[in-house]
Amino acid sequence: MKNGFTVFVAAFVAFGASWLGLVYGPLKQLGVAKETTVLQLGDKWPVQRTGAATLGLQVYRGNGCAACHTEQVHQTGAANVISITDLGSHKSSDLKDFITSLMVVPELMNCSNAITGNLAGWNGELPKVLYCGAQDTVVSLLGDKLKAVGVKTEPRVITTGTDIARGWGTRQSVAADYLYDSPVQLGNLRAGPDLATIGVRAPDLNWQLQHLYAPRSVVKDSTMPAFRYLFTVQKIGTLSAPDALVLPKAFEPADGYEVVPTPAAKELAAYLVSLKNNAPLYEAPFTPITAAK
Amino acid sequence: MSDETKPCCSSGNGEPTATRSTAPMWIIVVTLVLLFTGGLFLDSHSGWFDKNVYAPYQSSAQLESFQPKSGAQAVLARGKGIYESVCGICHGSDGLGKPGQAPPLAGSEWVMAKGVKRLLHIPLAGVAGVIQVGGKDWNMNMAAMGAALSDDDLAAVLTYVRSSWGNKAGVVTGDDVKSVRAEIGKSPQPMSGDQMMKMPE
Amino acid sequence: MNPTENKTICSSEIDVSCRVPLLALFGGAALWLVLGLALGIAAMLSFHKPDMFADCPVLNYGHAQAAANDLLLYGFVIPAALGVILWIFARLSQSPLALPIVPVVAANLWHVGVLVGTISILLGYSTGHPWLEYPRGASVLLFAAFMLVAVSAVATMGFRLNRELYPSHWFLFAALLWFVWSYGTANLFLVCNHPPRGVVQAVIDWWLTNNFLFVWLALAGVGIAFYFLPKIAGKPLASSGYALFGFFTLVFFGAWVGIPSGAPVPAWLPTVSAFAALLSIIPVFALGIIARKTVWGANVTCFGGPFCFIRFGMLSFVAANLLYLGEFCPRASRVLDFTWFNVGVTQWQLLGFAGMILCGAIYEILPRVMNKELPFTKLAKLNFFLFAGGTLLFVIPLLIGGVEQGMKLRDAAVPFADASAVALKFLRISTTGQLLVLLGALCLLLNILVMTIQWKLGLVKCVIAAVTAPLKTSEVKS
Repeated sequence: MKNGFTVFVAAFVAFGASWLGLVYGPLKQLGVAKETTVLQLGDKWPVQRTGAATLGLQVYRGNGCAACHTEQVHQTGAANVISITDLGSHKSSDLKDFITSLMVVPELMNCSNAITGNLAGWNGELPKVLYCGAQDTVVSLLGDKLKAVGVKTEPRVITTGTDIARGWGTRQSVAADYLYDSPVQLGNLRAGPDLATIGVRAPDLNWQLQHLYAPRSVVKDSTMPAFRYLFTVQKIGTLSAPDALVLPKAFEPADGYEVVPTPAAKELAAYLVSLKNNAPLYEAPFTPITAAK
Repeated sequence: MSDETKPCCSSGNGEPTATRSTAPMWIIVVTLVLLFTGGLFLDSHSGWFDKNVYAPYQSSAQLESFQPKSGAQAVLARGKGIYESVCGICHGSDGLGKPGQAPPLAGSEWVMAKGVKRLLHIPLAGVAGVIQVGGKDWNMNMAAMGAALSDDDLAAVLTYVRSSWGNKAGVVTGDDVKSVRAEIGKSPQPMSGDQMMKMPE
Repeated sequence: MNPTENKTICSSEIDVSCRVPLLALFGGAALWLVLGLALGIAAMLSFHKPDMFADCPVLNYGHAQAAANDLLLYGFVIPAALGVILWIFARLSQSPLALPIVPVVAANLWHVGVLVGTISILLGYSTGHPWLEYPRGASVLLFAAFMLVAVSAVATMGFRLNRELYPSHWFLFAALLWFVWSYGTANLFLVCNHPPRGVVQAVIDWWLTNNFLFVWLALAGVGIAFYFLPKIAGKPLASSGYALFGFFTLVFFGAWVGIPSGAPVPAWLPTVSAFAALLSIIPVFALGIIARKTVWGANVTCFGGPFCFIRFGMLSFVAANLLYLGEFCPRASRVLDFTWFNVGVTQWQLLGFAGMILCGAIYEILPRVMNKELPFTKLAKLNFFLFAGGTLLFVIPLLIGGVEQGMKLRDAAVPFADASAVALKFLRISTTGQLLVLLGALCLLLNILVMTIQWKLGLVKCVIAAVTAPLKTSEVKS
């Protein structure tokens, strides 16, 4: 290249292309996103945070919590599952034979081994998973065939992955979850557990506060630093403060003193409790377990 | 400190130069091969820029195949929709009823009954005369609002009513509706509360 | 190609024109490097003793870690690289530095910006976007300062006698543009009153992080290495066409990397990044091969000298960036995501690659610019061994620990606490490495500091001499 202008043009084109692709493109596609709806229930998603929780995000940011905690659940797969929930008037052994006889249906041929394998050694305990795989056609076909003979089945969509197995969420995180966050605190290191659904796992504000003040008083082998500076230790006046922490013996302050959370600590706890990214969405579908029955 | 003591400028100036030759062919071939394999990967994993396709899903068709098609949630959602448009006008979205218009459904003994026969009779045949709800007499008529709904729709509404606003009672199935509807027959007679109490639960 | 004979500008004259700006840039950079490494060690202490800073918000891990990282990048790497770029441009142009006062002002602005930013982070006013933590005031200062240095550098490049551009020109000129564009974009979108809603913020931040840690570091580091390697080896760079190929593939593919494969964004974004990461292997290899070919067979005896620094830096360039690109492979990322591996790779890029090359360049440049030997040549050599050993001891445990942590994180049967515990063991070793690097940085700081003091004393002496001996007027220079 002979002159600086050529270098300028080359750099400009290269940079501009990536700018269009990774800045402008996402801005156009995701930056204009509005609330979406929760699958089937039709509720709005995400849920707007309360005032304290919104302030709490700023405490989370300011203290660099995202240096050790992520707020994103990963998922490695999904499956369509059908399980028998009610035998009707049939015996399990008869049903086994019936289902085996269905395997000649072309749609079921490919997964006949899996289904018969699932049935092997089945003594009639319920619910019984018949099929767990990618094909939704298999699920609906089995459901129809079994309904016709009076056997009740339940189709479900389940998600798979380590994070989900750990109970850190029911589905992967998607863009919609962060609509009301600014700044978005995704994090990139899991020195501590993922917090995307900490509000589901630990919905108790007092637990959160105690955990912030003395992590090892609630989680024995926690490696989290204590955030004592978010609390004030004060002399107990005529009455102890209503929001004073109730701590186990080993973590109590000196006699006559009590630990009171600062507003920042309360906001942070409110924010943590508000983290509940687990509603089924179109882009992250699954069948929730409900207590309707 | 004094630069002047050194002889100025050894010429040739010692600045680096570069030999002139082009990049070897093999690396260009490797680039093209990688471009091709990368392109295949891009085609199969990118979901073609669909904003709803997130890994591990690879296409919108695949995502569609994992949408839950039924299940308890679906029934509740369906019931909620019908409730809001048919029942909620008088009984209220909160199920608390409206004084002088309709009795509450939340906590109602008619709704929470073990059997569903009497409950089904109300929307299928209507109510005429006094009916006692929550220890209070309500004297007003209700048309057979549910008669026009399909079995499954009515079942969904009642399931929704029986599991909302703190109510916790079992599911009403389409088969339940079918049998009660058959019992009532073609000419439904609205009944009062006392009359209904005479029926089995 | 051939040097212009008619106009003879003395190399030492060029060097002298760079003296004050370079001292300002290098001095501050070395100081920030020491502070950054010290803060980094302080941050790691939280892992060895979790309640250490429970009552001291300033040094808690979230604050100290972010401040330490930013000090390495904004405090050390960028100003040091700017200084080296100024000198290389002046030398390649065979003309003194244009507007020499501008970079001096800019250097001071820059250091004030870094100071303000660091204090803001420590007090909890970070923006919350990784690698863009400095609040608005500091960012504006940094941006303005960079623009000023860039103006001086580009003007110097414009005055070159030999119109033909040397490969370093492309890389370093592109690096100047790249920083302005990417830092400007990211700040306009993220550090403003109306940032975009939702996860786009994270996308822009990932894009910026990649543009800094991969593209910018590669442009600046390789550009500098391509100047010094042939110069020290006494051989021409092999070859310009190859370098051009590396340059183009780097800027065109490299800028698309950055979106991690598990990110909560539509599948096409991480897929495009994985695609780009696959292709970015090519420039990394190509640039590495050029460096190898250039120094191959060169008879350079260096025992901890600048050549060693730069050679180690180029090796790190290939190794660290291959690992970096590997992180974007979806399969690998299932294990490596959210582990210390990524931290290790970033530190390797910053210290092992950019840091090494910059230190080598500084040790090569300083004696020429100051026109005297380094005050502690032995410390400079010790610096190399401390840096090389320290970086490896710092980074490799993080990499191994990260993989092991990732394996355990991936297995849902292993409790989370076990996955964290396995990393702790490795963090202890790596903190030792960090300490060695800190000692090396102290050698650098000491050399620059003593040189600056000697030069200032010399100035004073000259002034006194000029005053006491008024007859002799011509000699006071510098």
